[in-house]
Amino acid sequence: MSDYEALMEAVLKGDIKTAVAETQKAIDAKDNARGVLDNGLIPAMDEMGDRFSKGAAFVPQMLRAAKTMQECVKLLQPLFAEGDVKSKGKVLIGTVKGDLHDIGKNLVAMMMEGAGFTIIDIGVDVAPDKFLEKVKETNPDIVGMSALLSTTMPAMPETIEALKAAGLRDKVKIMIGGAPVTEKYATQIEADSYASDAGSAVAKAKGLLGIS
Amino acid sequence: MTEVPTLRPRLKVLSKEQVDAIHASALKILTTMGVKMEHPGALKMLKDAGCEVFNDDWVKIPAKLVEEAIKSAPKKFTLYDQNGNTAMPLEDGNAFYGTGSDANFTIDIETGERRRAVLSDVANFAKLVDGLENISFAMTMANPEDVPVKDIYIHAYAAMIKNTNKPMVFIADAGRDIAVIHRIACAIAGGEEKFRAQPFMLNYSEAISPLHFPENIVDKLIFCSQKGIPICLPSGSNAGGGAPVTLAGAMALGIAENLAGLVIHQMTNKGAPFLFGPNVSVLDMKSTVVSYGCPEWSLTQAALADMRDELYDIPTWAYAGASDAKVMDAQAGAEAAFSIHSAMLCHANVIHDVGFLEYGSTSSLEMVTMANEIISMSRFFAGGIPVNEGTLAIDALKRVSGSPGSMFLTDDHTFEHFMEAQFTPKLLDRSRYDAWEDSGAPDMYRRCNVEAKRILAEHEMKPKSKEVLKQIDSIVNQ
Repeated sequence: MSDYEALMEAVLKGDIKTAVAETQKAIDAKDNARGVLDNGLIPAMDEMGDRFSKGAAFVPQMLRAAKTMQECVKLLQPLFAEGDVKSKGKVLIGTVKGDLHDIGKNLVAMMMEGAGFTIIDIGVDVAPDKFLEKVKETNPDIVGMSALLSTTMPAMPETIEALKAAGLRDKVKIMIGGAPVTEKYATQIEADSYASDAGSAVAKAKGLLGIS
Repeated sequence: MTEVPTLRPRLKVLSKEQVDAIHASALKILTTMGVKMEHPGALKMLKDAGCEVFNDDWVKIPAKLVEEAIKSAPKKFTLYDQNGNTAMPLEDGNAFYGTGSDANFTIDIETGERRRAVLSDVANFAKLVDGLENISFAMTMANPEDVPVKDIYIHAYAAMIKNTNKPMVFIADAGRDIAVIHRIACAIAGGEEKFRAQPFMLNYSEAISPLHFPENIVDKLIFCSQKGIPICLPSGSNAGGGAPVTLAGAMALGIAENLAGLVIHQMTNKGAPFLFGPNVSVLDMKSTVVSYGCPEWSLTQAALADMRDELYDIPTWAYAGASDAKVMDAQAGAEAAFSIHSAMLCHANVIHDVGFLEYGSTSSLEMVTMANEIISMSRFFAGGIPVNEGTLAIDALKRVSGSPGSMFLTDDHTFEHFMEAQFTPKLLDRSRYDAWEDSGAPDMYRRCNVEAKRILAEHEMKPKSKEVLKQIDSIVNQ
């Protein structure tokens, strides 16, 4: 049994107040910050992810648990030693040029963040040049592109072309998604991966980077 | 006895107090929060009319402008067929069903497999619609992958009008392609003024919830208003997605967005035809799909019909006959029947998405064919029970009870009335077991498959003239 059973329970319930209090209690007891994270918060989120993938939890519960965890991490942050917290990878994400829809993209970003990725969300209507500029600036592991409209999908291959022309295509993995996007389309435009929803986007991203 | 009026069954889900409260909340959204209006022309028009513009392109819309727009919008209008006949008089709670738009996939009618949709699917769905008596209008049903994306809606539109003469609901991307589509429509109608007088198509455009009006959407809204093309402007205010998770809040938001669109529409051209109605379904909290089989969407459009009757008096846009099921199974039948019947009973007017599976991602010719049958059941029910001397049939009872050995089956009254007194199914099977088994024991899906294939093979749509077809091709290929 984990020493952090009450903390885990609070994260799973999305009870921010109790989770923060439990985290503070651990800090006051001079527990190791890394231990609180590894033995309390991360197992709780893993459990939530497991429940969600089995259909035993709902999206708002998942997002609330992630938020609860983040509040706890804020308390732990100053106490982490160098190298304690390792991001699973850096993901640059945006909705492509001409498309102003962002619910799906936001959901993917939140789920990935909850799973330990560092997210750089560059918003909607992101032109190929803008993607390129941000890739140069932030050096991400993965570039995620979203489109809801079939008429904006061509901006995906345009962005890939722009990365190729700049010699950066091989530096990043490219993931695409959105209502009109298919696996076949991803293959056709030579993206590295397609995800049909936010949950599978997390799994695919981990797969692309070879992490569990 | 004299004929007594027949009650048309009407499902009501909101009280007047609820209607007023939702409307008040919609007005509060417009007057205190406003909308993000990314169309400079519309923004200027609103500013000139006294609206407060803030944060560059946000604009608050006063209640007075909203009330004026509601007042000037037509209380009824008619969609004609492409031959100029009255087809869909949108008044008195008349309900008309039609297909939906832009599904990526379709169930192949030959193989039964789900595959990416192509242009010939658009043509087949339009032809099927043309041949089904209860499907009143056509939409593309497919997002074809074998045409250039830039002109996808022009190609889809051309494929539809070559295969049906029924009214259509069409999609366009922006001001450019909607103008091309309008030119094609005018070629069919025989000129712009003839089209304006007898419009046979309605544009479907979507703002983005919450409260976001992109420039290309407003371009289309203004174009339709100017050209007299009826339009509906739902915004995807789905509960838990683009809108609050509670249905009242989602409706208030969707209505506020519709009203903002209506204000621009009526300021552009007072009296231009506008179809009222947000799409308020739910975002499923496990899969995050927008559900096409949920009871909530049926409930919110019934509520909207109540708001129409209590307050707005503008014809409504609705949905039915779709499903979240991946194949046309029992779930598909249950969900389609539920939504078709409630849309009928709440007297919604233009009811789209008939024939969708997989939360609107897959279209099915068989599903449209089944829905056609469900609509006919529902229409029968909605017709109520005519009560008059003939239907009360005292004379028939006298004859049968008065003469031993006689029965209703042999009585003239039965012979004269049975066709309209009873609903006669075409595809719903009531045959005796042995007969069903002898015919190969086909289930509903199989029967719909056979019927859809038969219609595609045998139905003859009245072709457009060579001259018109030539004009259309030259417009498409420009």
